[in-house]
Amino acid sequence: MDWQLIGDILRLTVLAGLGIAGILAVLIWKKNLATKVTFLRLVIQAVAFAALFYFFTFSIPLLYVLIGLFVVTLFLGRFYCGWVCPFGLIMDLESMLRKALKKRYRIIPDRLNRALHKSRYAIFLFFMLTPIALWLLDPPQNFDFAVMMARLLAGPFRPYSVLIDPMIPNVVPWTGQLIINDINFSYAYAQDIIAFMGENIGQIFLLAFVTVTLIGGFFIRRVWCRFCPTGASLGVINRFKAFKWAPLLHIYKDEEKCTKCGVCKRVCPLQVNEVYDQKGGKIETSQCMVCARCVEMCPYEGTLQLKLGNKSTFTSRNWLEPSKSE
Amino acid sequence: MITVGIDLGTQRIKTVVLKDGAAIARAQAFAGFDPTKAAEQTVQEALTSANLKLSDVAAFIATGSAMEMAPYNAGTVSMMGADAKAGVYLFPKARTIIDVGAEEARAVKCDEKGVMTDFVVNERCAAGAGAFIEAMARALEVKLEEMGPLALKAERASPINASCVIFGESDVVSLIHRQESKPEIARAVFDAMADRISSMMHRLGINPEVVLVGGVAKDEGFVASLNRKLGLTVLIPEYPDYVGALGAALIAATRAKEGAK
Amino acid sequence: MNKAALEKKYTPEMPRKEIDELRSTIKAASQRVIAENIERMKKADPHRPEAMKYFDDIADLFGQRQKEIQAEKEKGKKVIGYMCLFAPTELILAADAIPVRVNSGWYDTSKLGDRVVPVEVCPVLRSTIGAKMIELSPFLEQSDALISVLTCDGMTKLSEILSDYKPIWGMNIPRVKDSTQSLRFWKDEIKHMKTQIEKFTGNKITRKKLKEAIETSHRATKAFRRLQDLRKGPPVIMGRDAMLVNQAYVWDDKKRWTEKTEALCDELEKRLERKDWVCPPDTPRVLVTGTPMFWPDNWKLPTLVEEANPRGIIVADEQCSGERILNDPIGVDEWSMDDMLNAIGERYLMASTCPCFTSQDGNEDRINWLLNKVKEWNVQGVIYYVVRGCMLYAMEYTRVKKALDKINVPIYYLDTEYTREDVGQMKTRVEAFLEMLTARVDF
Repeated sequence: MDWQLIGDILRLTVLAGLGIAGILAVLIWKKNLATKVTFLRLVIQAVAFAALFYFFTFSIPLLYVLIGLFVVTLFLGRFYCGWVCPFGLIMDLESMLRKALKKRYRIIPDRLNRALHKSRYAIFLFFMLTPIALWLLDPPQNFDFAVMMARLLAGPFRPYSVLIDPMIPNVVPWTGQLIINDINFSYAYAQDIIAFMGENIGQIFLLAFVTVTLIGGFFIRRVWCRFCPTGASLGVINRFKAFKWAPLLHIYKDEEKCTKCGVCKRVCPLQVNEVYDQKGGKIETSQCMVCARCVEMCPYEGTLQLKLGNKSTFTSRNWLEPSKSE
Repeated sequence: MITVGIDLGTQRIKTVVLKDGAAIARAQAFAGFDPTKAAEQTVQEALTSANLKLSDVAAFIATGSAMEMAPYNAGTVSMMGADAKAGVYLFPKARTIIDVGAEEARAVKCDEKGVMTDFVVNERCAAGAGAFIEAMARALEVKLEEMGPLALKAERASPINASCVIFGESDVVSLIHRQESKPEIARAVFDAMADRISSMMHRLGINPEVVLVGGVAKDEGFVASLNRKLGLTVLIPEYPDYVGALGAALIAATRAKEGAK
Repeated sequence: MNKAALEKKYTPEMPRKEIDELRSTIKAASQRVIAENIERMKKADPHRPEAMKYFDDIADLFGQRQKEIQAEKEKGKKVIGYMCLFAPTELILAADAIPVRVNSGWYDTSKLGDRVVPVEVCPVLRSTIGAKMIELSPFLEQSDALISVLTCDGMTKLSEILSDYKPIWGMNIPRVKDSTQSLRFWKDEIKHMKTQIEKFTGNKITRKKLKEAIETSHRATKAFRRLQDLRKGPPVIMGRDAMLVNQAYVWDDKKRWTEKTEALCDELEKRLERKDWVCPPDTPRVLVTGTPMFWPDNWKLPTLVEEANPRGIIVADEQCSGERILNDPIGVDEWSMDDMLNAIGERYLMASTCPCFTSQDGNEDRINWLLNKVKEWNVQGVIYYVVRGCMLYAMEYTRVKKALDKINVPIYYLDTEYTREDVGQMKTRVEAFLEMLTARVDF
C-alpha cells in the first residue's frame, strides 16, 4: 500500500473541500452582483496559494510544473495568471487594500502599456538566452549533450526557473533569500536575482525590486503582470496561428448588444483594450488573463461572455438587478 | 361577386365596379366640397352603366386622401396598398408602381402578390405632382392638355428650378421673358418633375418593370421625360387614373372572400 | 449678476404686455393639449394601470412638480437646468441641487422662435427660444443656471442665445467618442463642471454624496429596465404611456419616480399574468427612432401610430427623449472620487448613440442598438422620425435603412415640423406603413 499516495489524495480532498466551502460561502455572502466574481476569484487564488505551498514543495520538480502550466495555458489561455498565480494574488490584495483606503489607481498610458506588453518578450528572451550565451562564452572542452542539458536544466542559470518564479514565494518559503532582522522572506524572482547578480549586489537589487513592485502594485493594478516573462511565455502560445483554435476559455462579445460604453476597458486590471476595440466574436489577445472582471461589470445582459469551448460559463448581467435564481 | 372600389382623390373621385376579377364599369367626378356626395354619384353612375343595383354589391372599399368620407360604410385601404394590388394585377411582372396624382407622387414597391413592401411619398410639396404641371401651364398660357404634345416638339430643355411650385412658376416667367420657346419650357417642366420622381425612385430601388399610374400618366410629355430619366420604358395601363379605385375593388374582393371563409 | 448689465445679444425686446398675453394664451392652449393627450391615452387602454395616474399628474408641466420645485427653491435649493442628456445629473444631485431638463415641446412657441432664428433651424431649438421669450416653460424659468452641452450646431448657438437670460455653462463634448484623447478631454470637462457646480451651489460634492447620487441613478435605471423588459412580450402597456413615464424622469424627483415606476411594473406584471393585453398581440410592433419628441405638444406621432387604422403599438424607441435617458448605468469600478468621475464621464460620452458623434471604429453603436432592439423586442417596423432641420438624424437615415434592409425589417422615414397642420398627411403615411406591416404579418 502506497501511504504516500493515499496521504496526498486525502490532503487534496481536504483542500478541495475547503475551496468549495469557501466559494459557496462567498456566493452566499456576496449578493452584490458587481463584485461576485472578483470575490470568487479571490477564494480560488487563496486556495491555489495554499495548494502550491502544500504540494509542490519537494515532490514535483519545477520543470514538470512548468510543462503542466504550458499545456493548461494552451487550452485555458492565461487562466493561470488570473486565477492561480500567487504573485498575482499579492497584487490583488494590494489593490483591495487601496480600494479600502479609497485611494485612486493610476493608469499606464495606453501606448506605454502596449510597449510594456511587448517588452515582456525581450525580458523573456533575455532570460532564455543568457544561459546559452554563457555556454557559448565558456564552451566545455568535450562537447557532451548530456552535460549541456544538465547545465541548462539544473545549473545556476536555469532559464525555466525564471518562468516559475512568480510561484517561488510559496514553493520554498523557508529558504528565503531576503533576510531582514533574521527573518527569512521569500519573494518572486528573489532566487534568480541573487543567482544572476551574486550575493551582495543581488541583495540590494532585490530590495529595490521588492520595493518597486510592492509600491507599484499598490498604485497600479497588476503592475508586474505587464512585464512578467511567465505571462509572456504563456500568452505567446496562443499567438501562433496553428493554436488559434486552442484557447477554449475565452471572452466572447456580442457585437449587437454592445453599446461601447467603455466599462470593460476601464475596469480591466491589465488595461487590455482588445475587449473594447474588437468588433465582436472571440476576443483574441495574448494579454487577457481571463479574470472576467469585464464580463462581471458589463451592464448589458449577454453582451460579454466567458466561454469554455462553445458553452458560455458566465455571462454579463444587468448587475443592477439581483438575478432571479437567488 | 361584385365589388366596388372608390378612390377619393384630392381633385377627382374615381369609382370602379369589379365583377369576378374584371372591371366592368368606371365613373369619375370632381370632388368639390362634398366628396361623400360626389362619391355616391360616381357609384350610382357606374352601377347604372353596368345594369346593377346597389344591393348587388358585396363590398365597398375606399382609398385616397379623403377615404374616411366615403359613403356606404366602405372599408379603407391606403393609396399605396391599392396601387400595389392593381399594379401587379395589371402587369403581373411589375414590382414598382409610381403613382403621380394631383398633389402627391408616390412610389410603391411590392411583391408578387401585390402586397407592398416599401413606399416613398414626395415630401409635402406639389412640385413632383400634377398640380405643378397645371401651374406651369397657367404660366405658359396653354391648356393643360396641350402641355404634353408641346413638350414633345422640343429639341432640348431649358433649366428650371423644380424645388417648389411657386419658385418654378417665377422661373418659367423669367424664361418667357428671355424669350425661350414654349416647347422647350414645357419640356423643362416635365424634366424637372421627372427628376424629382426618379430621385424618389432611386431611394426605393428600381426594378425593370415599372408601372406609371395616376392622372398624370395620361400626359405623354411627362411619360417621355420620365422614360428618358429612368432609362427604361414605363408601363402605362389603359385607364391610369382608375388604378387606385381598381386596387381598392380588388382588395374588396379579396377581403370579401376571406370574410366568407 | 446685474440684470441691467445684461445686454441682449440675440433676443428682440418685447413689451411686457405682449409677453404676458402670449404666455397666458399659449399656456392655456398647452394645458388643453396636455389634458387632451392624457384623455386620449386613457381611452386607448381601457384597463390603464392605476400607477399611471401619478404620471398623468406629473405630466402637467404647470402643476404639482412646478410647485414642488418652487418650494424647494424657497428653502434655498438651486435648480440647474440642462438641454442635452450629456449633462452629468449625478453631480447636480450630489450638490443638493435639482436637475431638470428644459427642452421644449411647444409647437406654438416655435413660431415665436422664428423672430430670432430662421425657420430652417431645428424646431426644438426654435421652440425653446420661443418658450424663453415669453417665459412659458416653468422649469426653464426656475433654473438658476443652465448646463448646455455643445452637441449639435443648434445646441451650440442655443446656449449663446439663452445666455441673454441665464448663466450658461457650456460643456464642450468631443465628437469622436471613443478615442483616448477625447475621453481625457471630456473627463476634464466633467471635473471642471464639478467645481463649477460646487462653487455655484456652495455645497461640496463629497465622495459619499456622489456615491449616493450614483446609486439613486442606478435604482432608476433598474426600474426603467424592468419596464423595458415588460415591453418585450405581448403588449401590457401602451407605448405612449411608457414613453411618458420615461420622459417624466427628466423633471421628476428621481427617488419618487423610481418608486412609482416600480409600482407600475408590479401592476404590469400582474397584468401579464392575467394575459390582459392592451391590444391584440398580433398588432404590429413599432420602434420609433430619430429626433426627440418632447411632451406635451410633440406627441402626435405616438398618438397617430397607436390610434391609426390599422393600429400599431410602440414597443421601443431610440430617442434622447425616451429610452436613452436611462438606458446606461454608471459602471463604477471602485468607489473612489476619481473612478466615479471617470465612470460618469464614460457613461455620458461613450455609451451615447446620439448621431452628433462619430467614432474611430465606424460608429456602429446606433445601428447595433437598433438591431438589438428589433430582435429582442420583436419589432416589425421602424419609423424614422425627423423634424425638419435636424440634419444629423436625417443624414444617418440611409445607413440605418441599409442595416435594417439586411434583416428585412421595413423602415419608414417620416419628416415633419413643429406644427399640427400636417397630421392628416402624416396619418396617411403612418397608416399605409402600418397596413404594410399588417399585410406582412398576414402572409
